[in-house]
Amino acid sequence: MAKTYDYLLKLLLIGDSGVGKTSILFRFSEDAFNISFISTIGIDFKIRTIDLDGKKVKLQIWDTAGQERFRTITTAYYRGSMGIMLVYDVTNEKSFENIKNWIRNIEENASADVEKMILGNKCDLDSKRQVSKERGEQLAIEYQIKFVETSAKDSLNVEYAFFTLARDIKAKMEKKQEASNPAPRSGAHQLRANEQQRKPTSWLSRCSLL
Amino acid sequence: MTNATIQEIEGIDDYWGPAFRSVYEGEGHEAFVQQLDERIKQHDKEIEKLCNFHYQGFIDSIRELLQVRSHAEELHAEISNVDANVKEATESLCTGADELIRARRVELNIAATIEKMELCLPLLTTYSKLKTQVEAKRYYPALKTLEQLEHVLLPRVGPYKWCSQISSDIPRLRQSIQDASMADLRDFLENIRKLSPQVGAMALKQTQEMLGRSLASIVKNKKDMAVLGITGRDSAGPQCPHELVDFSPLHRCLHIHSVLGAKNDFIQYYRAQRKQQARLVLIPSGNLHDSIQSVKNYLNAVLGFFILEEYLLSAGAGLVSKDWLLDTWSMAITKVASTLRTNTSLITDPTLMLSVKHQIVLFINTLKCYGLPTEPLPLLLQEMAEHYTEVLMQRWVVVFRDILDNAPFLPVEVENQEQYDGVMDTFPYDGEELEMQPFPRKFPFSSIVPAVYVQVKEFIYAWLKYSAGLGLGGSRRAAAARHSASLLLSRSFTGCLSALFRRPIPLMQLTQIIVDTKYLEDATLYLYEFISNITGSELVTTQAAGSMFQAARDDAEQQICDKLEKKVDEFLDLENYDWLLVEPTGQASSFVADMLSYLSGVLTSLEQLPERARVAAVRAATNRIATRLRNLLLDPAVKQISSGALHQLDLDVIQCEQFAAGEPVPGLKEGELLEHFASLRQLLDLVNGWEWSSYLHDIGKEGGKYALVTPRDAATLLEKLKEAEQKSSVFTVLKKNERDRRKLLDTVLKQLKQLQNQDGS
Repeated sequence: MAKTYDYLLKLLLIGDSGVGKTSILFRFSEDAFNISFISTIGIDFKIRTIDLDGKKVKLQIWDTAGQERFRTITTAYYRGSMGIMLVYDVTNEKSFENIKNWIRNIEENASADVEKMILGNKCDLDSKRQVSKERGEQLAIEYQIKFVETSAKDSLNVEYAFFTLARDIKAKMEKKQEASNPAPRSGAHQLRANEQQRKPTSWLSRCSLL
Repeated sequence: MTNATIQEIEGIDDYWGPAFRSVYEGEGHEAFVQQLDERIKQHDKEIEKLCNFHYQGFIDSIRELLQVRSHAEELHAEISNVDANVKEATESLCTGADELIRARRVELNIAATIEKMELCLPLLTTYSKLKTQVEAKRYYPALKTLEQLEHVLLPRVGPYKWCSQISSDIPRLRQSIQDASMADLRDFLENIRKLSPQVGAMALKQTQEMLGRSLASIVKNKKDMAVLGITGRDSAGPQCPHELVDFSPLHRCLHIHSVLGAKNDFIQYYRAQRKQQARLVLIPSGNLHDSIQSVKNYLNAVLGFFILEEYLLSAGAGLVSKDWLLDTWSMAITKVASTLRTNTSLITDPTLMLSVKHQIVLFINTLKCYGLPTEPLPLLLQEMAEHYTEVLMQRWVVVFRDILDNAPFLPVEVENQEQYDGVMDTFPYDGEELEMQPFPRKFPFSSIVPAVYVQVKEFIYAWLKYSAGLGLGGSRRAAAARHSASLLLSRSFTGCLSALFRRPIPLMQLTQIIVDTKYLEDATLYLYEFISNITGSELVTTQAAGSMFQAARDDAEQQICDKLEKKVDEFLDLENYDWLLVEPTGQASSFVADMLSYLSGVLTSLEQLPERARVAAVRAATNRIATRLRNLLLDPAVKQISSGALHQLDLDVIQCEQFAAGEPVPGLKEGELLEHFASLRQLLDLVNGWEWSSYLHDIGKEGGKYALVTPRDAATLLEKLKEAEQKSSVFTVLKKNERDRRKLLDTVLKQLKQLQNQDGS
């Protein structure tokens, strides 16, 4: 049977309740937006296949509940993830401050080489903004993670964020494959090697494109 | 003397002729002439003697005559004198007499004139009175005067020119009076047209007051009046609605026309006019479904119209007959009913609907007071009740939709006692267990349950508002209210739920909806209790509401199943089997592991769901997994399958079977889920165990070890294995046992194909 994809990437969305994880995912998977807030219970996932440098890349994106009470269910999914989106709400100071806690969570539960990205969502609500873009970048630099401000509502940077994360993971996997030939076909989740941290310069230059 | 002369004498006289002849012819002529001379001398002597005798007498006579002549002359003078004297004396006398005669004549004339004039005078006064009356528009007296003038006064007076003028004027005057009174009538008609809404309004108001009259209100009124210093009901305004209208022009007109002898014509005219007016009244001036005011105006006008007619029935001197009134009324009421029906069916505002209903009820009651039949109206009220229910339901559909659209479908969580009490106050829930728990407490249902419950109560309130005042018994109202409430839930709310299900809803929310519907169903009893409380009827519990939302629940369950199946599909789409795998990895494929952990996570979070739904969900999911895995194996697109790959798949199936055997949800029959994998398991076991002899031996028998494996499936899989083996060994020399195996494989394949053909034929 012909394979429907070249790479399968498992991504995870985490962040405080109400920052817009589900909306970002909804925007990315269905290209739609729903104003009403329905909090995610437990965990859910969506799949979207994207074309990346001529390769079919299937993204299985896990959407977690931000609420504390689902923490045990959601952390179980950290392990298998290859990329994690840390989402905060630019109109909610607390959600931004909590990013540090979420990063600690990742360090405790996810594989060490997991790709991360910080998203400052709801950047369309400029009048209610509490967290400046600069502070977001500051934090990202501190942790050497890529950062972008997004708006699921206005469809701003959502695609970019997922594509960037996917591209980074793919690049890492390809590098890994080259290193250990013959490479496993696409069982990307098996990648375990401690890859060195990426140099921050590469993403900084990209970020300035925003 | 000659012969001829003698002959002539002979011809004349016979005596003297012959005498002459004899004389003539004889010779005696001298004797004869002597004789004749002697005779002449004798006669002369006699004459002279006679004359001497009469001469004296003659003279005397002459003398006497002369004497008479002088006497006559004397007499003549005397008489002429007397005559002159008389003439002189009588001349003055004659003048006096003439004057006297003239004076007498004048006197007579004057007397006659006065007499005539006296006769004319009343005529003229009457005439002038008539003029004044006409000018003062007092037509009825004018008409009477006219009558008098015509029949009494005018004949008395002679045939004068002016009289004839007056007489000829009379019909004209009469006509103008008639015209004027008609104009008055028109004014009156116009006037009552303006007034009849007020009349109707007043009547309705009085009816309302009467209906609202109770001991308490009467006492209160009295008190109020006492406070205001008003005693009794001596306030200035009219007491009866018809008193608002001044009927005098109408009565006057009627009198006038009766005097004119045109009473019947007038009645006909009046009725025709009123009928025409009735038609106008019956056409509402605007849209009745926009505002209550237009309905009020309409009903007031109609009511006022007929109240006045009804009044005239008793006071109108035959102007309005019972038959005519009822006839007109039946025409009107039909029209009113149809107008109201048309207009109310367009109303979408329940409040307006209620006001309209109230107005109609009042209208009906007032009609009863006035003894007018109300016939199609109660029916109309019933129809409106149905429409009202519809309108309310439409309203509540919006409300429900709003509730559902904004519902998070999360269990209600309360932080403190106040919030807890808030929920407990709105929804009947047996909170005994919850009472013990510390805050925050979590109700099993989501916010839609109390919200919908409250809304259904609101609906019942609103619904009952309509039936109030219709004179229905409590139990009938309660039954109808129960019916409507059930209808609201089972139709409107369920409809909203179904609409909700048309868009994708997260699993958890679906679960919550199922749970919520259960609580709502259980609460129906409390709703019935509520209905019997407010209608004051006995509680009826016979009506089972058990499966009111079963359809919605089925929908939700189906959605849950579909969702799980879709998720399973998504996982299976991620499958990346290497069909030529040499050695199995020794662990389950990652998508299977992910899928099973996802499923157990989901199923755990579905624990609130009724057992039935959870069982259905897990069945759907496992069945889907089994079918998809089996299809993978038999997919014609996969041409070759190595035994390594087969073992890897076997490993995955084992994982799934473990999951199925682990009783992921309670309420399943032992091993029930495993049955979904049975045919796949048998196929895998058969091929992996290479037990072809026992398969072929048992085939077609009941209860065989591989009874679920069809020869076709077996053959398909075997072909793929064969393909894979051929491919892997194409460049190597086959060992003996491998050759044997290949041979066996071919034999089995042949057998299987044979069996297949048998089945096919």
